[in-house]
This record gives sequence, C-alpha cells and structure tokens, in this order.
Amino acid sequence: MAEKKTNRAKGGRTKGYERRQNRLGYAFMAPWITGFVIFTLIPFAATICLSFCNVNTNVTGYDITFAGWNNYYTAFFRNTEFVPALLSFLGMVIPYTFVILVVSFVMAYLLNKIEAGKGLMRTIYFLPVIIMSGPVMSQILDKADETVQAAQGLYNGYEGVFVLDMIRSYSPRIAFFMEGIFDQLTMILWFTGIPIVLFVSGLQRINGSLYEAAKIDMANEWQILWKITIPMIKPTALVAVIFTIAQLGTYDTSAIYSLIKTATNNTNGGLGFAATYSWIYCIVVLTVIGMAFLIFRERQAKRRDIW
Amino acid sequence: MKGKTGTVKKKHDFKWWRNMIVKAAIYFVLICVGFVYLEPIFEIIAKTFMSAEDIIDPSVTWVPKNFSLNNLKVASQVMKLGTTLRNTILWSAGLALAQTMVSALTGYALSRYEFKFKNFWLVMIILAFIIPTPVTMIPRLMMFVSVQEAASVQLIGTAIPQVTMAILGQGIFSTILILIFYTAFNMIPRVLDEAASIDGASSMKIFWFIVVRMSATTILVVFLFSFVWNWNETYITGTLLRNNIELLPTKLNMFNNEFSSMASAQGGAFRLNKAYKMAATLISISPLLLLYVFVQKQFIQGIENTGITGE
Repeated sequence: MAEKKTNRAKGGRTKGYERRQNRLGYAFMAPWITGFVIFTLIPFAATICLSFCNVNTNVTGYDITFAGWNNYYTAFFRNTEFVPALLSFLGMVIPYTFVILVVSFVMAYLLNKIEAGKGLMRTIYFLPVIIMSGPVMSQILDKADETVQAAQGLYNGYEGVFVLDMIRSYSPRIAFFMEGIFDQLTMILWFTGIPIVLFVSGLQRINGSLYEAAKIDMANEWQILWKITIPMIKPTALVAVIFTIAQLGTYDTSAIYSLIKTATNNTNGGLGFAATYSWIYCIVVLTVIGMAFLIFRERQAKRRDIW
Repeated sequence: MKGKTGTVKKKHDFKWWRNMIVKAAIYFVLICVGFVYLEPIFEIIAKTFMSAEDIIDPSVTWVPKNFSLNNLKVASQVMKLGTTLRNTILWSAGLALAQTMVSALTGYALSRYEFKFKNFWLVMIILAFIIPTPVTMIPRLMMFVSVQEAASVQLIGTAIPQVTMAILGQGIFSTILILIFYTAFNMIPRVLDEAASIDGASSMKIFWFIVVRMSATTILVVFLFSFVWNWNETYITGTLLRNNIELLPTKLNMFNNEFSSMASAQGGAFRLNKAYKMAATLISISPLLLLYVFVQKQFIQGIENTGITGE
C-alpha cells in the first residue's frame, strides 16, 4: 500500500519516502515504545511524585496523601541506616569503577600482546559475567566461616604485609581502604569481564599504521602507550565505564537495595519512603555516570584540538 | 629452530631475550590473574565435595580427604532440584524468547528506517539501561496491584507482569540486546532488502525472510544472554513473582532458612556449613557453566558488538 502511494506521487517522492520510513520505523518500534512509556517513563515520573507523598496500602488499593519534604527529611535525618548505606554505596562505586577500569585496561593491553592462549584467557575472564548474580555473590562473600579460620590463626588478614604496614604507619585510613580493595579483589575482578572484552576489541581496532609511524619516529613502548593507545581507547573506556557503573548499580546485594526492599514490603506508608530512597539512589547513580561522562568527553575534545 | 636462532642470535641477541622475558612476564601475570578469577569457582567446587570434617580441618584447602556427594544430595533436596530446575529453565527461556523478539523488532527499526526522533529514542534506550531498577519498580508494583484490584485477576505472584514487561521490551538489560541486534543488522547488506522490495516483499516479509534468516547466530547470542540474565535476576522477580514459582536463584537466596527449617524437621541431625551452601551454589550455577562451555565464543562476540555500537 505504501509503495503504491510512493509510485503515484512521483513529484513528492522524497516526502512519500520519508513518510513511509517514519511509519514503518514507528511500526517496528511500537512494542518497545509502548513498554517504555508504560513501564519506564511513567513509573520514573511517578517515583518522583511518590517521593513527596505518604502511601498507605489498604484493602482496596493505595491511599496517597501529599507529604511535602517529609520523606526526604526522614531519609536524611531520622532514618539512621539510609545515609550510611548511601555513603557505603558511593564508597564502593567510585573506587570500584576506577580499579575495574584500570585493571581491565591493563589486562586487555597484555592480552593484546600475546597470540597463543588469547582466546582461552578471554574465556576465563568473561566467565563471571555468566554466573554472577546476587545470591551467588552473597554465598561466596559469606564470611561466616572465616571467623572460624581466624580463630585457628589461618586467616591472618594483612598484618605483617610490609608495604601495607608502611602505609598504615603513615595513614591508617589509606591502609584500611587498600585492605578493603584487596579483600574484595576477586569480586572486583568479576566485574571486569565485560570491560576487558570491550577494551580488547577496541585495541584491535586501532590502526596499526599509527604504531608503525610512531616507531619510525623512535617512540618507545611507554610513549606509544600514552600518546597513541590511551587517547585512542578513550571512547571504549567511556562505554566500559557506563557498563561498569550500571552493573554495580544493579548489583542487588548492596545495603540500599535491602533498605528499599524492606520499605517496599512495609504496608504502612513504606512505599513513599521506598520511592524517596530509590529516587535519591537514582540521582546518585546518574550523577556518578554523568561525572564519568564529563571526564571522558572533555579529554576527547582536547584530543581533537591537538589533532 | 636452533640453527635459525643461532644465526639471528648474533644480531638480535639482547632483543630476542628481552622479548622472551617480556612475553613470559605477560603470561605469568595473565595466568595469575586468571587464577584469581577462577578461585571462587574452584572453592565452590572443592567445598561441594568435602565432608563436614574436611571443612573444619585446616590441613584441607583444595582437595577433600573424604570425598562425599552427600552435600550435593542434601542441597538438591532442600532446593527441590527437580521442579526448581525445570521451572527456572522454562521461566528464563520464556522471558528470553519474548525479549529476543521485541529486541529484534526494535533493532530492525533502528537499523533500517530513518524515522523522526530516532536519535531521541536511541538516547531513551540507553537511558533505560542506566536508570537503576528500583526507581521504576515501585510504581510498576503499584500499577500491577491496582490493575489486579480493578480487574480482580491475580497478577502479583504470577508470571504475567514480567512476561508483559519482557514482551514490551522492558525486561532485564534489554538495551544491550537491542544494541547487539542493531549492529548485527547493520552488517547485512541493504541491497538485499531493496531487491526483495522490488520483487514486492512487504517490510514484514523482508524482516522475516531476509534479516531474521540471515542472523541466526545473533538471535542465538541474544537469546542466551537474555536467558542467563533472567536466570540470575532476583530483585524484580522477588518483587513481582514473590517465590510463587520456585526458581533456583531465589531458592539459593533463602537456602540458609530453608536448610535450617528442614534440618529441624528431621530432628536437627544436620548443621548448616559452608559445604552445603557451596553445593547449593554449584547447583544453581552449573547449568550456566555448562552452557558457557559450548557457546563462550558467541557470548564474547555479542558483547564486542555492543561495544562498537556504543561508540
């Protein structure tokens, strides 16, 4: 039908073509757009409204009354768990993202230098993506048994590690922070699966003649890494960062998730609080992603200036 | 080999050795890190086959002294493995099928048509990925409860809400699936579409007989990713399905409680220890591990393709 129309309107061929493209495009997009509006856009707006309301569950449905900033006040000043949970989330997501990014870049860089066993290694590094889920993580991270081992003197922590002792004498806080990272190293590594794959394919797509030119100009490996590889990999890094933060944000064993869950199940005005909590959480996540975006975009712009 | 190096040696002696050392160091680092990756999985497997004595025995770290299948047996009893496994496979596969279909349609629209506000919708698709799930979950829950009250049909605790969401493209990580399709469809030459449309094929026919037929691998990749993610998802399922259909990850989540209630029902003969927990964990991830062994290459390629699009 649409084709006939195009044929008939010979003069307005481009217009008919455009209309057809529009119509068919939206026809194929229709299910997604419907779902997006019903299940993402409206709920997203509703959460903002609900965060200013008291929501009580009764037999016939919901009893919603406007409450002003009350929920926010409660979240920040009355609830003793929310602010620490939020801070612990921030304290997790920022260093984790940094470490994940650096580690996965280094791993991808090294992987790119070898030929034999490259596929096998990549397979190993990607494996956690497949099996990682909240329950599995919490079972693995379950430290209940380690207390037994600590009593037996097996689990010694980081006492006596020379470098850490040195740092500890300088600043206990930094040492504590680093111990935290080492403690969680496996878990951090498990988030690097996707970034490594992204970086490896990004590195492979860098034009080889750039390296050759640099080598002819007597650049050494180190200079090539900083002047060519890293600037060229930045767009990939941005994708990797967004992947990482989104993954960390949906990692549902964090303290915030359990707070939101308990509030959701509380029929007596809980849903309003749950909305407030999740809305604040959302702002935090989006801010972190926005920050990452700015960091990477700005440097990209600089690169363009130089070139 | 020896002779060749011998002749080359005179010229590149230092360089050759340096290269070898660098290579060896790279392999060393990669293998060490690889071990750190796999360590939790090794631990799960090792502890699964340990008896209760081995767990508290400090001299046993990896290889159990008394090999026992008892943990697996008890854990599978607690998790009601037969029904749970079947449920989980059906559940994940059903949602994955729905997600694959809608993602293919959306990816096709993005790849083949220049409609108005296309870039706006692309941004929205990416935004849907970035927004954390809890933000949209509460109104979704309230929506389903209200519909349930108004139409007096049971919705919460059934598969309907999540299946609806998956069919309408709001399942877990839909964005990535759409992007995988988008890139794959972009690689299919448009000339084929044009030829078909000259022969009078409608756009639906082009989609079905050309684009879908030519991207069997992509469909498989998307289906499997969706399958795996739906398998591992617990937050949305916990809110909307509420354990009414027994699924493996949910069971694993409640393993500690279920174990103690079952143990006390049997007279407290068992005590919960790490071995049981690890056996339960192994049970819930082993189907995924098995899957990964066969299709790991496709999985990795799928993510590579999204990376290209993302840029």
